[in-house]
Amino acid sequence: MQSFENRNPITVAVYFLAVAGISMFCMNPFILSLSLIGAAAFFVQRNKTKHVKSHFYFFLLFIVLSAINPLFYHNGVTVLFVVNNSPVTLEALIYGIAAAAMILSAVYWFRSFSQIMTSDKLLYILGKFWPKLSLVLSMALRYVPLFSRQAKKINAAQTALGLYKDDNIADRIKGSAGVFSVLITWAVEKGIITADSMTARGYGTHKRTHFALFGFKPKDILLLLITALLSSAVILSLSVNALDISYYPKTELGEFTAATYVGIICYGILALLPVIINITETVKWNCLKSKI
Amino acid sequence: MELFKIENLTFKYPLCTSPAVNDVSLSIDKGEFAVVCGATGSGKSTLLRLLKKEIAPIGDSSGSILYNGIPLPELDDTSSACDIGFVMQDPQQQIVTDKVWHELAFGLENIGLSQNEIAIRVAETASYFGIENWYDKNTDELSGGQKQLLNLASVMTMNPTVLILDEPTSQLDPIAASDFINTVKKLNLDFSLTVIIVEHRLEEIIPVCDRMIVLQDGRITHNGSPAEITRKLLPQDRIIPAMPSSVRLYHLLSASGKCPLTVREGRQFITENYGNSINSLKEIPYRPDKSAALEFNDVYFRYERESPDSLKEVNLTVYRNEIFCILGGNGSGKTTTLCAAAGILKPYCGYIKVFGKKLKEYKNQSLYKECLAMLPQDVTTVFMKNTVREELGDNMPDLPFDISHLYGKHPYDLSGGEQQLTALAKVLSAKPKLLLADEPTKGLDADKKAMIINIFRRLKQNGVTVVIVTHDVEFAASCADRCALFFRGQAVSVDTPEIFFSENRFYTTAASRMSRGYYKNAVTVEQVAEICRLNSEADVNADNQE
Repeated sequence: MQSFENRNPITVAVYFLAVAGISMFCMNPFILSLSLIGAAAFFVQRNKTKHVKSHFYFFLLFIVLSAINPLFYHNGVTVLFVVNNSPVTLEALIYGIAAAAMILSAVYWFRSFSQIMTSDKLLYILGKFWPKLSLVLSMALRYVPLFSRQAKKINAAQTALGLYKDDNIADRIKGSAGVFSVLITWAVEKGIITADSMTARGYGTHKRTHFALFGFKPKDILLLLITALLSSAVILSLSVNALDISYYPKTELGEFTAATYVGIICYGILALLPVIINITETVKWNCLKSKI
Repeated sequence: MELFKIENLTFKYPLCTSPAVNDVSLSIDKGEFAVVCGATGSGKSTLLRLLKKEIAPIGDSSGSILYNGIPLPELDDTSSACDIGFVMQDPQQQIVTDKVWHELAFGLENIGLSQNEIAIRVAETASYFGIENWYDKNTDELSGGQKQLLNLASVMTMNPTVLILDEPTSQLDPIAASDFINTVKKLNLDFSLTVIIVEHRLEEIIPVCDRMIVLQDGRITHNGSPAEITRKLLPQDRIIPAMPSSVRLYHLLSASGKCPLTVREGRQFITENYGNSINSLKEIPYRPDKSAALEFNDVYFRYERESPDSLKEVNLTVYRNEIFCILGGNGSGKTTTLCAAAGILKPYCGYIKVFGKKLKEYKNQSLYKECLAMLPQDVTTVFMKNTVREELGDNMPDLPFDISHLYGKHPYDLSGGEQQLTALAKVLSAKPKLLLADEPTKGLDADKKAMIINIFRRLKQNGVTVVIVTHDVEFAASCADRCALFFRGQAVSVDTPEIFFSENRFYTTAASRMSRGYYKNAVTVEQVAEICRLNSEADVNADNQE
């Protein structure tokens, strides 16, 4: 079973870019709600009952964000009520809800994105375009935990040797500065060994190739094509102003043409694509499993 | 067919008066397993590094090194990188990248192989070395033994014809070290891979090697098969203390004939040549001063709230003025115990008393003022200054050893043994009454180890209590007053080394395994030799009376 998140990282990254990008540049309520539904459904599908609390907080955030706009922005023709001599209008409220939906959908897309795109996947993408930088980052990622562990070790050793004379803060800061400076010396000294280990294994003798655990399979290419097709259809329909909406002074959707329907349906498929793929893969897997 | 041919090689580091490698001529055959040994500073590492041109030290060299008939400097870059594999001492710093799979592929990426070729070679290597299970892991999550195995595997992906290893096991615990040596031997047998290895710990490597090369002050003093050389060694040779227990026993008894190399042969040697009418030495009962220097009372500790207990109900008493060794496998809680005793880790339950006072009652860092000091495992963490002189400060106490010749140097420029001594000097400058030492013999050669043992004994005479965490059973047997075995966060047995090691069957010294059942309570080579000597004297006396 190959779920959506295990597809080639480039495909996955392009998908996230397309789906989140479009929803960030379009205020059409249909597109926004589809984006929010798709993002939230995908996140819940992956995480099940984990992070339940966070959904509640994000719902609160949604309410607050929706309420901020009508409280500070008083444009619009339909006055709901008046607070402190300033009118709260329906149009401002609708706009607030739309903006909140946009922010929240982006948040949910990026939560999934950061869960899926681990450091090695990001390095893979980077390595495709810029192999040297990718290696440097890989080495840096290795050094971060190494440093923090060594810093802890030095600190423990120095504590037991009486580096800290007293229990006060000034002493603590002075001691920590010392630990930091010796950490730098350590890094430089030990870096020589790493450099030796690199040259001993032929670093710099040839043009480097880039090895990765991920390859492009027909499935990945298909997904990439579908993403490209759907998103260009949406962009096309955006460019002919078929998805326009005016919020002020009176909220009015544009005229519904064929292009509008195409745009909304294509975006709907795009936003729900990961969920659809994962459901079909699960069904396939259950079917295969029953034969084992 | 010779792979390496070294002729009259002399090498001098810049600003040094005497050459590090002096007129060495040597040839290594294809498929040979050669061990290079010698004390620290005998030029072993320098010689090894000269064989790999990428990392050869800079200095004046004369003489020639031929690899497969080609002078080494003329060897092309790819062959040099691929054919000559080099594994260094430090398991951690040799690793370049953050993921295990990437590390395996690193060398292959460097020589420009295609994605497909790399995938095949990496997969092959990973399955041969049993790395599949941790293939996706981050390299910093691995244990020391796994890291060194990864270093070996990532060199092996390059398909080398010769493997050069510079003290690869010095930073590993004994179990990981013996696994590593076995893997290297397996490579040597399976692929007829030529192996040149420098080692301090010869106990396990002597029985498996084909050739021993002994260096002293940059010159080769012995070169030949282990059976031949171990027999030819003279009792005053500096390499003797580093030899396996059976070889040391052979030379302590000035025996003749075939020299035993393994525990099995050592046992045969004893039973065939010596009787057991006297089967133990006179026991000197151990009567410690019963007041406690360090007390653990039902101590529990865990690193994180949800993690398992690292220390479970630890009860331990270290008496004043004794040398106490804590032994045990990896993750058994030895180092944790030491850190808890030093007040670096705080137990969540139970209490620790130092000289009868609970740790909590030592306010304002007073614990570390002329009371308790700790020598950590990684001694580089001790150094904060630019020279040894500054490091030690002005108020130096009388040290039981002399390091004044190192004063002008930077602590990082010292050799492992010198660093250990300098760190110990710095720790002692706090004038502790209770010294905690974590793996003080790690990576040291036999000379330095003997020196450390002497220092601890002198400290004991001066009234210092010493608690040592160690993997080194031979070291514990020869210097401890009492030993404790840790297992799964608990101290399971505590006793004097004679009783402790004779009761243990697996976790014990080679001398004890050799003499078990034949002699009683003999745990060091010296003790076994003494009993053997008494027996042969008794036999001679019996013969004379007849």
